[in-house]
Amino acid sequence: MLSWPKPATWPSIPPDSSAEVMAKEKTILQAKAREKLFDIQRKPLPLEPSSLLREANRRRAFLSVGNLSELYDSVDGSGLGAHSKLSPNKSSSNLMTRTMSGPATSETSLPVDRPMRLSEIHVAAEHALKQTISDPDFMTSLSSPEEFESRYMELTKGAADNYHRSWWKRHGVVLDGEIAAIFFKHGNYDLAAKSYEKVCALYSAEGWEELLADVLPDLAECQKILKDEAGYLASCVKLLSLESSLFSSKERQAFQSEVVRLAHSEMRHPVPLDVSSLITFAGNPAPPLELCDGDPGTLSVAVWSGFPDDITLESLSLRLSAFSSADEGLKAIRSTDARVLVPGRNIITFDIPPQKPGSYVLGALTGQIGKLSFRSHGFSQDGPVDTDEFMSFEKPTRPVLKVRKPRALVDITPAVSSALLMNELQWIGLIVKPIDYSLKGGILHIDAGAELKIEESQMIEIESYRSDGEHSSPIDASKVLSRPTDTGRVEKVPIENGKIKLPDWASDVTTLVWFPVRAINDTVPKGTSPASPQKHSIVDGMRMIALKLEFGAFHNQIFERTIAVHFTNPFHVSTRVVDKCNDGTLLLQVILHSEVKATLHVKDVSLDLQAGFEHLGKGDGRPTSSLFPLVIAPSSKAGILFVIRLSGTKDLDELEQADSMLHIKYGISGDRATGAHSPVPVKPDDSEELLFKISLKLKRPVLDPCLAVGFLPFSTDCLRVGQLVNMKWRVERLKDLEEASLSDDEILYQVDANPQNWMVAGRKSGHISFSEAQGSRI
Amino acid sequence: MASTACFVIVSKNDIPIYEAEVGSAPKKEDLAYHHQFILHAALDVVQDLAWTTNAMFLRSVDRFNDLVVSVYVTAGHTRFMLLHDSRSEDGIKSFFQEVHELYIKIFLNPLYLPGSRIASSHFDTKVRALARKYLYIRGIY
Repeated sequence: MLSWPKPATWPSIPPDSSAEVMAKEKTILQAKAREKLFDIQRKPLPLEPSSLLREANRRRAFLSVGNLSELYDSVDGSGLGAHSKLSPNKSSSNLMTRTMSGPATSETSLPVDRPMRLSEIHVAAEHALKQTISDPDFMTSLSSPEEFESRYMELTKGAADNYHRSWWKRHGVVLDGEIAAIFFKHGNYDLAAKSYEKVCALYSAEGWEELLADVLPDLAECQKILKDEAGYLASCVKLLSLESSLFSSKERQAFQSEVVRLAHSEMRHPVPLDVSSLITFAGNPAPPLELCDGDPGTLSVAVWSGFPDDITLESLSLRLSAFSSADEGLKAIRSTDARVLVPGRNIITFDIPPQKPGSYVLGALTGQIGKLSFRSHGFSQDGPVDTDEFMSFEKPTRPVLKVRKPRALVDITPAVSSALLMNELQWIGLIVKPIDYSLKGGILHIDAGAELKIEESQMIEIESYRSDGEHSSPIDASKVLSRPTDTGRVEKVPIENGKIKLPDWASDVTTLVWFPVRAINDTVPKGTSPASPQKHSIVDGMRMIALKLEFGAFHNQIFERTIAVHFTNPFHVSTRVVDKCNDGTLLLQVILHSEVKATLHVKDVSLDLQAGFEHLGKGDGRPTSSLFPLVIAPSSKAGILFVIRLSGTKDLDELEQADSMLHIKYGISGDRATGAHSPVPVKPDDSEELLFKISLKLKRPVLDPCLAVGFLPFSTDCLRVGQLVNMKWRVERLKDLEEASLSDDEILYQVDANPQNWMVAGRKSGHISFSEAQGSRI
Repeated sequence: MASTACFVIVSKNDIPIYEAEVGSAPKKEDLAYHHQFILHAALDVVQDLAWTTNAMFLRSVDRFNDLVVSVYVTAGHTRFMLLHDSRSEDGIKSFFQEVHELYIKIFLNPLYLPGSRIASSHFDTKVRALARKYLYIRGIY
């Protein structure tokens, strides 16, 4: 900065100017420093009066520190200029002693032992100037303070413009500050504000905070007077966000109270306030919060407040922006209710409603103070944003919330794959396995299909499930010891309308749910015999159960599954005639095939024979030997022998339609976890005995064949499709017809060929006469 | 004997990244503002003067009353500015060169964001030590 031209020696005071001196002293004493807004106490720059004193008295001898300090104490203000910052410059008093070694001037008319006071300096200068100036305009400028000010403004404006044009912006801005101060003094607040804005803009852009701290209160004052609320708030916020050592805490509190006061008052044009430097936030240093699709959660965010005092926020909301490429720009907003932010770090939790899948990063923080809404884009890495940093932080790319794509949260599988007993009350087990998710509050709906009834009078048993190896062999001492807490907890829960409420302890562990069902099959099962081969149909024994589990923190997760459960009769019965004794009795072997994976104890068997057969022996339908109780191992067979004999019914029709019934009294000892088991006792006095009835069709065995049929070989070896072939067979009577009732010697023959493979050309059936003698052939 | 000196490092974006009062006079708040004011205005002068020469040390570029501003411009257009009262130029040049070396070491730190404030207390201690070494002992005082 260029220094102002100083005369080599200061002109002396004219002789009879004591009155002027007095008047000048009065003006000096009366002028006082401009009071700053917010009661900011700041020592003004030692630019003028003290250096003036020093300069004027530079070459004077007899100056000592003490005298000078007296002079300084009387300095109050100046009527000149605008940037009136005063300070007794104590340090320059030290410098003073240094410069006093110069020779004393001889041009003064004052006694050499007294330095000039400020007023004297002023008067002396004025007189000297008046004597030397000839330009009338200049003389008018110097005639009164107002004229001087207008001339000063003119010159300063011109200089500022020129500085700006020559790109010496900082010099230009200094002069702009001077101009603004003069405007302010004259009440041209809008012009003053404009100039102050220029100054503040440059200082804040370049980050010279002490300079900004000096000028910004002036701008704020202008804005306040002009009622520029938005600008005033912005200035206050900027003042607060400057380094805290630049202002006393009282001053900072004053800034804050201004902001709060305005925020709660009615504003004409409320504009959202940007407090990015005052309120900053950061996510948790922990890994991002992981939620499943459709779940709510809570997110905690650290918010730093740079306000000196507690500040009450009416509301606070946080925007998360989705990070995934598909949803760029989509924002999800959370909010929380009124809270108080203390200076420093605050932890705020936000409740997050269910979100779409994706990962989210922190966006902007918005909120309300009073009626004023504010927003903050200030991210902080670890601590509060260093306001000196003008390299803005990159948007944090670390996601703070991850919502997973919908995935399987639970799995329900049947516990038992092998068949259960039909028509008896059996336990069905379901393994409910949560996959990394809590099933708390879950409700399981069980919908049995047709022909399956859930016994609701019984309680449902829920037990914790250990995986396969340990469950089937409960007695494994080492394993039991190693997990003393895993006690296989069982709880009984009632079922209502097919709904089971899962207990809380079951929400995180795999559990087995046992519920009793009865599969109903009203048809009487049929056994197989050589006469009636039967196809086993698995479908007959299948029953479907529809399951639906409602769970989730928001009760919006639904898991549906339909499982098929197999039911089967305990036995499959087949018969065969083992042998024919000489006296005509037949040995009928009834083979019991166990269809279940449990041990069956057959207690008693009785056979009601169809017409045409009758029992021998005791005649009560029991088998020959008493082998009971007969234990049949899982999936194995046992045979029971009956001795029967053909009875002499001649009614062929009756013979064809009758069935024998086999009654089996049995018991079952099985584990419900492996398969069929003994039925759930509904009433306390239910016996363990179970009754199984199966109908058998016995046909009179052909033990004495009367005829023998044989095929004769084909004429040609290879047959072609479409080729006409003669088939021949021979029928031979093996023995004489004994009964005379069959007088006709005709044989009915019938040719049945698989129509898919063969076409019969010729007669398919017919009668042929056949002689009765043994050995006759056709 | 007391002397005033204020040392500021201004980055190429015109943002001060380091400030220190290295004078032996006791620090005063008003003086600090005063110094900032003068140094900030001197930046204008430097921005013209820096391109007129290819030397790094620009000597004294500006005066204010009896305070002198000396400037040293690095190759990256970072300005080291020293506000001082009149003293020997050799000492100042050596001071600047030593501080330049320290500054380069700061830049070598991969975790240092160029253009951000130099917060290293080690740097601060060293600069003050250098100031004591170069600006007072060898100065003509």
